[in-house]
Order: sequence, then structure tokens, then C-alpha cells
Amino acid sequence: MTGSKLPDFDDETLYEDAPCGYLATRPDGEVIRVNRTFLRWTGYSAKELHGTRFQDKLTLAGRIYHETHFAPLLRMQGAISELALDFVCKDGARLPTLVNTVQKTDPDGRPIVNLTTIFDARDRRRYEQDLLGARDSARQAASELQRLNSELEQRIAAAVEERLKAEDALRQAQKMEAIGQLTGGVAHDFNNLLTLVIGGLDLIDRQLPSQPPGPGTERIRRARDAAMEGARRAAKLTQHLLAFARRQPLQPKLLEINRLIREISDMLRRTLGEQVELEAVLGGGLWNVEADPVQLENAILNLAVNARDAMGAGGKLTIETHNASLDDSYVEGIPEGLRPGQYVMIAVSDTGCGMALDTQAKVFEPFFTTKEVGKGTGLGLSQVYGFVRQSGGHVRIYSELGVGTSVKIYLPRARAGVKAERRESNVEPTAIRGDERILLVEDHEDLREHVAGILADLGYQVTATADGPSALAAIEEGSDFDLLLTDVILPGGMNGRQIATRALQLRPRLKVLFMTGYTQNAIVHDGRLDAGVALISKPFTYDQLGAKVRAQLDGLSVSFAT
Amino acid sequence: MDPLTRHNVKVSGRGERVMMFAHGFGCDQNMWRFVAPAFEETHKVVLFDHVGCGGADSSAYDGQRHSALRGYADDVVEIARALGVADGIYVGHSVSAMIGILAARSAPELFGRLVLIGPSPCYINDGDYRGGFERSDIEELMTFMDSNFLGWSAALTPQIMGNSERPELAEELNNSFCRTDPDIAKRFARVTFLSDNRSDLEGVTAPVLILQCSDDLIAPDSVGAYVHERLPQSALVKLEATGHCPNLSAPEETIEAIRAWI
Repeated sequence: MTGSKLPDFDDETLYEDAPCGYLATRPDGEVIRVNRTFLRWTGYSAKELHGTRFQDKLTLAGRIYHETHFAPLLRMQGAISELALDFVCKDGARLPTLVNTVQKTDPDGRPIVNLTTIFDARDRRRYEQDLLGARDSARQAASELQRLNSELEQRIAAAVEERLKAEDALRQAQKMEAIGQLTGGVAHDFNNLLTLVIGGLDLIDRQLPSQPPGPGTERIRRARDAAMEGARRAAKLTQHLLAFARRQPLQPKLLEINRLIREISDMLRRTLGEQVELEAVLGGGLWNVEADPVQLENAILNLAVNARDAMGAGGKLTIETHNASLDDSYVEGIPEGLRPGQYVMIAVSDTGCGMALDTQAKVFEPFFTTKEVGKGTGLGLSQVYGFVRQSGGHVRIYSELGVGTSVKIYLPRARAGVKAERRESNVEPTAIRGDERILLVEDHEDLREHVAGILADLGYQVTATADGPSALAAIEEGSDFDLLLTDVILPGGMNGRQIATRALQLRPRLKVLFMTGYTQNAIVHDGRLDAGVALISKPFTYDQLGAKVRAQLDGLSVSFAT
Repeated sequence: MDPLTRHNVKVSGRGERVMMFAHGFGCDQNMWRFVAPAFEETHKVVLFDHVGCGGADSSAYDGQRHSALRGYADDVVEIARALGVADGIYVGHSVSAMIGILAARSAPELFGRLVLIGPSPCYINDGDYRGGFERSDIEELMTFMDSNFLGWSAALTPQIMGNSERPELAEELNNSFCRTDPDIAKRFARVTFLSDNRSDLEGVTAPVLILQCSDDLIAPDSVGAYVHERLPQSALVKLEATGHCPNLSAPEETIEAIRAWI
């Protein structure tokens, strides 16, 4: 380089006052020479540094880094650029630096001396720390975002699943509703017809004693008995259909289930036969339930009959009861839905042949049966299912092939404050006759005549009408009726309930008795008869109608409340 | 991926008996460049990179497996098995000394002899045991590593720069030594310096040579003596070389010490 030589800028000055630290060290780090800039920065004197190793003036972490990175790299590469190291100054302060080193070697490649420049990197290190902080924040934000995303995905998945479950439940409910409509309609007509059939058979029964005895009369009696049995079974069948469709009018009472089981145990033993042992394991301190006792008996009996049929070669039937608390996690697994809370469990378990899974899935469907044609209706378990669901409960089936089956019924614990009542006596009043005035409303002509005939036969004064307007007209004409006996579902714009309400406004002391083959919401809400409603179910016999009418007139049941 | 590709394994030498060299923290197999060739005449020399270092496959890093030195030892065992090593000689520098101890414990048939250069079973002071460091020193080391990855080494690895679509950059950088994945390197540092494998020294039956440098900050004399005491079948050779990397700073002395022993 040419140019005017400035006296102040000799090599010495260039070296000593260069804007960077300058160190010459032996390969092991021992300081041979150090410039003024470095001494000024660190506060050491040249004397203090000569003979020491430069790495000894680094922070401890810096010394580790020197050993693990700096020294091996320098040896392998012959040079190092921009390595970050912190020096410890004489006063203990830290000097963040960037270090560049070249290693001079002899002709054999042996290192002789290391030449190092040291740059003040305080600003740069601060900037780096900011940058690192920003990177960490960005990473944290990214991972937070990722977490939120996956949470969102989970939430969506859960919502979709819930939606699908709700749709499933809705489909099931719609199916049940459709079957309910269908069976309800059939049952209504069918029960009307059965009332006529049973009425006819009743008449035969009452007329037979006055006929001369002989083989002919005996044949008529046998035929009548067979027909009556057939009619009863038909009535039961319609009842089961209604039960499955949850359209049967339940009459829930406060029940002690253990007592109910004890009361029906004799009947169960007879049903099960000698081959099957019956054991009852009845839990102590059992809560009461509110359920229709007749239907509950039917349900237990249906389960016992199924169990007996599953134990061809005999076995053991166990009826078990205990209190159960069904929590949220349990009820979540029930697609048709159930309220979490306190329940009483009745388990009916057998040691029979058990069921495969695909069978278990279908057992509650109406008309599904594994029994031979003619041996079963396929409605037994449907009755159990329909009754229990209508009562706010839940049925679960556990079965294993070759081991046995256990059906568990859960019925909700009775609400506090409901008082126990004794079961109604089945003894019918001996005197069922009377002379009171009865207003009959029935749209089915044959049935109207039939019912009116029975009532007249029993001594009552009957006014028969076909619909609401004509019935109310009869009252308004001034007739002072004692009892309104009305069908529930009627043409002419008014149902039985509406007729009763209007009639009671006109004649507050009037007694009301409904008759029905199946009930819609007119007098039944949530599957329960409205309080104070008296009802006779079609089909009924001569005696049953007589007894119910008498009881209602005598005030044995509470009067109909508007 | 087979362990030989995964760990960038290089095999050379004309001998029968395998000599496997394991690099320590901060470097890769290049650190053996002055030592390994000396054994090629008599041995089959095996070099490799730990995951996250040098030419090893970074994607093979498994946070769970490599959260302890045992995971790195399992890698060594897999490499040795893939090569059919039996009764070989294991030479481990720094943290790889303890990795070798762990590998020998889990698969004693692989290595008949172990050479440990600057071993430390525990870097942190613990009661009477003087490992040389406090936990806070190691935390500070992490900060240094961050600064240095931002500096020179940030310029070296294409994945840090986000320039993986510029392979010529990686090519250019192949001249540099000790390439490391910064995240893995930090985690490796933590696993290394916070490890405590003192109890793993028990039950090692193979003969062991301990090479102790003078004035070694990372593995001071007291630690070398501790290892020697806990390994009854070990020989301790104190090198004149100073620092932590005699294989680089004093290769001849290192070679001689190893050769004399084997």
C-alpha cells in the first residue's frame, strides 16, 4: 500500500488501539501477548494475564463451551469465527464478546500459536436475548395455538358424536311413536270388538243355567269357555302391544318392591315348575318406587317365564333387589336417555342357555321371539321394556351363552312425600245393581247398545248418546244424571274429557267414569292417569262393568277433578 | 431406517477385531481424525455420529428414548449388533465414556474392552462427590449455546436458516465440522451434564482403560480417580495432555496409551 505515512498510526498503535481485543496464545491457551484495548475492556494488566490461559478468564459456562466446542473445532478447522464467549473482567463484571481465532501450525501441521480477535458484543448479545425471547414467545404461541386447535377438534368431535346420539335417540323415539300410533289405533278398534265378543259370551253364560241340562248345553258351555279364554288372551295381547307402545294407562302406586315380590312368589313358583329353584335376595333398606303394581307383576312374571324356557333341564332363578345410584357417566351410555339419580334395581337372573349378542340386541323388539312358532308371542320382553320406560326407568340385559341371562330393571325412587297405600282389594262388590240414572256416551253403535243393555239389565236408567253435543244436550234438557259413563276418543269435536269438564260445570255433583281401549293424552299425561280420574279399560266383562259403575256411584273412588 | 445409515456409520481398516469410536458432546466422528487411522492397520475401525450430530439422521431423535444416556447406549448397541460386533473394543470420549459403560452393561458380549477418555459419571457436585459443576452453571451453558447457534453455527446448518430448498448451501457447509441440530444439541447437553450414572459403574466386568488428562475442566482428576476406584478391573493412565480433548490436542500420546493397553 502506498500513501502518506502518518506518524501516529504505526503498527504498534494499530495493534494496541485497534477497536477489538487481540490475543496471541499458545495452543493450550497460555497468553503470550495481549493488546491495550482488551486490557482496557477487562481491567487486567498485561502482567496479570501473561502466563495464564485465556480460557481461565471465561465464565464457567464459557469454559465448558471452550472445552467442548472451541478447542476441538479450532484444532480440526484451523480457524473459528464469531464464537460467543463471556469474559470475566477484573472487577467481576461480564464482557460478552464474539471471538475469532486462527491457529498457526508448523510444516508438520502441529499447532504453534493461536491468534484471536475479540469483539465487544454487549449490544449484539442484548439483541440476541430479545430475539431468543421473541422466538420462545412465538414457540409458546404456536404450541398454544396447536393445543387450542386440537381442543377445538376434540370439541367438534364430541359435538358431532352428541348430535349423532341425539339423532339416534330421535329416530328410536320416532319409531316408537309410529309403532305406538299403529298399535294404539288397532288396539282401540280391537278392544271395542273384544268388548262385544266378551259381552256376547257373558250373555251366553248368564243364559245357560236357564237352559235344560244335556250334552248340547254342555257343548255350548265348553265352547263358550274356550271362546272366553281366546278373548282374554286376545285382550292380553292388545294390552302388551299398548305396553310396548307405552300407551297403556298406568296407575302408579307407591310400592314396596320386596313385599310385592314376596306376595307373588307363590305364583312364580307355580309358573317355574319343580325343575327350577327360586331364590330371592332382597336388599335391606330398599327405597320405595312409584309404579303400576299390576304391570310390574306382569313384567316379573314375563321375565320368569322367559327364564324358565331358557332352562329346559332345570336350574335356578334368582330375583335380587337393591338400591342403585346411576351417575352421569352411566346414563350417558344409554342411547334412549335416562335421568341420573336414585333407582331401585330388580334383577331376574337364570342359569339357562344364555343369548348371543345379536339376539340380545333384538330381544326388546315386539314380535321377536326365539321360541318355536306358537310357543311365544314375542311380546313378553316388549311389555317389560315398554312398561319400565313408561315408568321412567331402564332395562339392561346381560347374557352369556351357556352361562345364563340376567335382566335388570331400574325403577326411579319414589318422590318424597308420596304416601304408601294398600293395594286395592280385588274383591268386587257383591251387590252391583242399582237404579241411578246414567248418561252413556259411546260412538261405536254395537258397543253402545251392548253397554246400555248391561246397565239396563243391572237396573239402571240409561240414556245412550253417540257424541259430546248430544250428551250435553241431554243434560241441558234437564235430566238429572248421577253418572256420566263416556268413551274417551269420540267424533263430533269433543273428547271424553271435554265432555266431562262441560258436564261438571252443568252438574257439579255428577260422577264420571271413563272407558277406553287406549288413551291418548286426554286423560293420561306422561303415561299416568290424571289424579282423580276413574277408568275402566276395554274389553270388560259384565261383572267388571257392573262393579266399576257401582263403586263410582258409591264414591269408593274420588270424584273427577276438573 | 437401519442403524448404520441412521448414525452415518463409517467402517474402515484391515484388522479383524472391531474398534468402535464414540464422540462426545459438542462434536461428531471427525474428532477421531488424528487417532482412528492409527488403528486401521490392526483393527476394523468403526466411526459413527450420535443422533442430532454430524451426518446422523436428526429425525431419528426420539424425545423419550434420548431423554437419558441409556437411549444413546441403546443406539450404540443397535449399531454394534448391526455390524455383528463381538468382543470388540469400545473407545468413548467424554459423555460417550458413560454411554459405553451403559452399553456394556446391557450387552456385555459386544465389547471385551473399554477405553474411556475423560469419563465422568456425574458432572454436578453432590455432597462429598465433586463433579465440578453446579446446576446453575449448566443452565448458563444453555444460554451460551443459544447465542452460538444464533451466531456462527446458525450460518452452518441449512435447517436453521430455513434454506433446506437450497442444497448447495448444505454442500458448502459440509466442510464444517461438528454440525449439530441446535435443539437436539441443547437437550443432549442437558442430558449429559445432568446425568448421574455413578451406580451404573457397578457390575461392569470388562477390562477398562481410563485416560485422564491433566487440568481437565470437564472431568477433573478427582472424577477420574472415582471412576477408577469404582471399576476394580480398570487401569488409570494420566496423560500429559491438558484440556478435555487429548484425541485432538495430543493424538500421539492418546494413541500410544491405547495401543499399549490393548
